[in-house]
Amino acid sequence: MKEQSGVPATIKKTRLLALTAMLFAVSIVLAAVENSFPPPIAVPGIRFGLSNIAVMYALFFLGKRRAFMTAVLKALFVFCTRGAVAGAVSLCGGVLALAVMSLAVVLFQKKISYLMISVAGAVAHNLGQLAAVSLIYTSLSLWAYLPVLLIAGVAAGTVTASLLRLVLPVLRRLEP
Amino acid sequence: MFFKKSDFMSIAAIIAVSAAVWAARAAYNGALPGASAKAEIYYEAELVETVALNVGGDRTFSIPRHENVVFRLYGDGSICFAQSDCPDKICVHSGRLRHAGESAACLPNKLILKIVTE
Repeated sequence: MKEQSGVPATIKKTRLLALTAMLFAVSIVLAAVENSFPPPIAVPGIRFGLSNIAVMYALFFLGKRRAFMTAVLKALFVFCTRGAVAGAVSLCGGVLALAVMSLAVVLFQKKISYLMISVAGAVAHNLGQLAAVSLIYTSLSLWAYLPVLLIAGVAAGTVTASLLRLVLPVLRRLEP
Repeated sequence: MFFKKSDFMSIAAIIAVSAAVWAARAAYNGALPGASAKAEIYYEAELVETVALNVGGDRTFSIPRHENVVFRLYGDGSICFAQSDCPDKICVHSGRLRHAGESAACLPNKLILKIVTE
């Protein structure tokens, strides 16, 4: 984050808190919007993951801690509204996606584009969700789905990265 | 930086490798004698029904206590979720399964359908 002179630290902290809460709200709204449309392809657990836009913004501009907080809050919301299993599935997908995206940022620094980070995150998100279902219920063959997950991840990652690019100018104005 | 030129190469490579693996798997599955495939239906983590796939004939069925979900077995040895009362219908949209390793899930109803070999 950029240092801003003249703004006291407590106000900055409050703004950051409000911004994180708002991103959490945005991620829920995006998930709701996405769920109101039929799934783009007929494979369980594969979707665009529009709420990843909010999480990616948090990761890129507010730091890992805020991003993980957004993902965990979102899983808690799913837990409250759709039950324990859905919550666990959401948590696994969200945390694995963030872990992979953070790792990509740390490993490649400025050499990796948002597009590729977004694709990696999308693949990890779907893989995490499938792994969670697999652990909770009955083992599914993740390898059989890997090609589909990769192709779907490329599509989903491209969509979310493009949308992030579109809304970025607006989001950046909110920064503390 | 949103994207760079090399991203297109990476993406093309990912798609090419995935498609190749996909095609190879489909060819491998096609070469297998399909007679041994069966479908397993799980409720939560419990196996509640096993269905032999290649018996010919078309039928729909439900598992006891879950009449809100209807499965359909096709004459060509594929099986699918035909109907479900869940809100998202991801299970129904998953379509027909026939090869070992394929699966479909109806998470709101806690039902999993997967294909295994004997």
